[in-house]
Amino acid sequence: MEENKFQFVELKESAAEHIAAPHYSYWKSVFRRFFSSKVAIVMLIIASIIILMSIIQPMFSGYVPGQNPNINDQSMKYLAPSLEHFFGTDNYGNDLFDATWLGTRTSLFIAFAATFITTVIGVIVGAFWGYSKKMDKFMLELYNIVANVPFTLVVMVLMYVLGRGVSQLIFALSCTSWLSVAYFIRVQVLIIRDREYNLASRCLGTPTYKVVIHNILPYLVSVIVTSIARDVPNYISYEVFLSFLGVGLGSSNQSLGRMIQNYSNDLTAVPYLFWIPVAVSAIISVSLYVIGQTMADASDPRTHML
Amino acid sequence: MKRYFLGRLIRSIFSIFIVVIIAIVMIFGLIPKEKVFENDPQLSKLSGKPDDRTTYIYTRWEELGYLDYVTQADMCKAYSDDYNECMRLDVTQETNETGKVVDVYSNSEEGQKVIKIYEEQGYTVDYMTTGFAWASRDNSIFNIAVKYITNMFKVDNPWAVTDPDNPDMDRSIYFGTDNNGMPALKCSGCEHQYLIYVDGSFPFIHQNWISLNFGRSYPTYSGSYTMDVISDQQGEYVQKEVTFDNGTTAMSSLDLHSCQYKQTSTLDRMDKSRFETNYANCKSFKSEASMINMSYIFGIISLIIAYIIAIPSGIIMAQKKDKWQDKLGMVYINVMIAVPSLAFIYFARNIGIMFNQPTKFPTYGGGDIRSYILPGIILALLSTASLMIWMRRYMVDQSNADYVKFARAKGLSQGEIFRRHILKNAIIPIVNGIPSSIILCIGGSVITESVFSIPGMGKMLPDAINANNNAMIITLTFIFTALSIIALLLGDVLMTFVDPRIQLSSKGETR
Repeated sequence: MEENKFQFVELKESAAEHIAAPHYSYWKSVFRRFFSSKVAIVMLIIASIIILMSIIQPMFSGYVPGQNPNINDQSMKYLAPSLEHFFGTDNYGNDLFDATWLGTRTSLFIAFAATFITTVIGVIVGAFWGYSKKMDKFMLELYNIVANVPFTLVVMVLMYVLGRGVSQLIFALSCTSWLSVAYFIRVQVLIIRDREYNLASRCLGTPTYKVVIHNILPYLVSVIVTSIARDVPNYISYEVFLSFLGVGLGSSNQSLGRMIQNYSNDLTAVPYLFWIPVAVSAIISVSLYVIGQTMADASDPRTHML
Repeated sequence: MKRYFLGRLIRSIFSIFIVVIIAIVMIFGLIPKEKVFENDPQLSKLSGKPDDRTTYIYTRWEELGYLDYVTQADMCKAYSDDYNECMRLDVTQETNETGKVVDVYSNSEEGQKVIKIYEEQGYTVDYMTTGFAWASRDNSIFNIAVKYITNMFKVDNPWAVTDPDNPDMDRSIYFGTDNNGMPALKCSGCEHQYLIYVDGSFPFIHQNWISLNFGRSYPTYSGSYTMDVISDQQGEYVQKEVTFDNGTTAMSSLDLHSCQYKQTSTLDRMDKSRFETNYANCKSFKSEASMINMSYIFGIISLIIAYIIAIPSGIIMAQKKDKWQDKLGMVYINVMIAVPSLAFIYFARNIGIMFNQPTKFPTYGGGDIRSYILPGIILALLSTASLMIWMRRYMVDQSNADYVKFARAKGLSQGEIFRRHILKNAIIPIVNGIPSSIILCIGGSVITESVFSIPGMGKMLPDAINANNNAMIITLTFIFTALSIIALLLGDVLMTFVDPRIQLSSKGETR
């Protein structure tokens, strides 16, 4: 054995400090996990088709709710679904296909807007609520009062007071529900804030923003996604329910709930008029719910270890 | 513990009032008062008569609490010594721009003086076409809210009735018997004849002593008190043999326990032949339950069905975790949560049609069991999903606990562990939810009641909103809020009985 056959390796300070862990990217793992579920992919495709249809179709249909251009044309009334009228026509000779997509757009817009507002306000308030002791006392009392009042009552009385319309409905839906999102986030923040790994990070000198971004946020993302997954179908359901009872939107708006209400009289004679909006509302909320649930699972970092 | 509950009770009552006050302020402050007439058929009949129209509108508004309204007659009675002089109008004839001769009325000096007094008090004065003055003054929202709150609880007392035709009426509360010979606490001089009485219907002891008052319903159920609309029986009159005070028996639908004082001047021959006292203003027995009872009947039916379905299936799901039973249950739960409840109700109703079930409650009415089956099952299924998911969650959580491992080490069978150990611990949070789920049945049945046309409280809320019935909306707000807050409190109390380990007060003063 000769020494010249060996080469001396220099000792690298930085390499010694490096911990050999597999490369990990949070969002990559989230999407890998999400797309591993076949049901979720199918639901995503269905939901995308419905959302795209509801955005694009009303731009070209020229359908305006309340205007009935074919009202005097007897031959246009109650046409069964065909290639010309995919979903048939109603008692005023309006094409149900146009009405459905416009209605879906309104319902989806209300649901997404209300979810967005409640989530943004809820997360911001909830984060402060979890950290501040003074705020906690006041907010808990407020929460105890508001949470005890039936939500249906709040929404209906608010709609009565504010009048019928899209923005009023969004306000009524989000007026008190942000509080329960905030409460939910507060509990999560309280749980995560003093976990050992956060304490360890702080001891090692990690700056607070890094703790928030790397430790707390990934955990909160899954919690927030869970809450969104529950809220969007819920708000769609509420819009349908309120408009059906006649306390939701007025006649100048078309929505799934209003269509269901209008056509509930035709249930026995012309059932497709009633069942098509019902089916659309069911399909859209089921698909959004499944997507949301899968996304919530996928965004939980604990599932990424597998 | 006692101190905790007292504090909790006070805070609960406080929050009920806060919610009601907010509702009053919003309804009276934000909704223009003209809106109450939107659905009133009476008003259109008065379109050609401006004086009648003004009188009608302003008396309604005064009744609803929006404003104070006085006619010239009221003004003269209140502030003038000489009523006739005050009401006198001087007529002069004048020619107007079109050349027509018209009568112009002017008030006498006495009248003008009285009108001036009202103007100084902040009233706006206007004149009818007949020349008489009327005045109105808007109530502030603060006054309206105070009025509502102070009038809310009515305690009956022997000095409640004033009847000029019956000056030496006996005023006392005494023990007596009712017409069936049952003991009762009776009163003379109160609004109600029977303050406390006993009869055969649930809850057997009834009272008329303290009642809630939210004013009169308008424009739907016009004239009745809102509480009466909700709590009185509905449907057809039911006649049965009744023995009246003076011994006469007759077929009648009158409920003698509900009799209220009737002014002597309004007593008719029929009343005099049946009643010895002035308590002749009675409610009637009717065929259908009241709105409150209707909602409760459905609530209880659905609650029982829901617990019978959900608790065992939740237990099975937890026992067979990750097997097909669990997966099937999860699919069911997810579908129930995601599908809009309206879509589910109509879907289930269509299945019911296949089994020849009625689609509307009034088809067979309250006396037929078929009217209850389909809505009861639908209401129950709507609440199973959340019950099942929580039951499963609690069971699964408990099955990882140390005491379960110990029980397994002792050699207990899986079934025994589940029955004896896990179930007892997992059921505690479910017990907590029982009182509030009774309430949720009423709130959640808004939509089921509307679909099936069930005359219950849930349907009343959207109906009242669509009819602009302000007093009714405030009444329902109070009832729904009060019920859910009290249910939450009861749930916590019940939990401490089921599980003595639970101490609601955080400090634990007893230890």
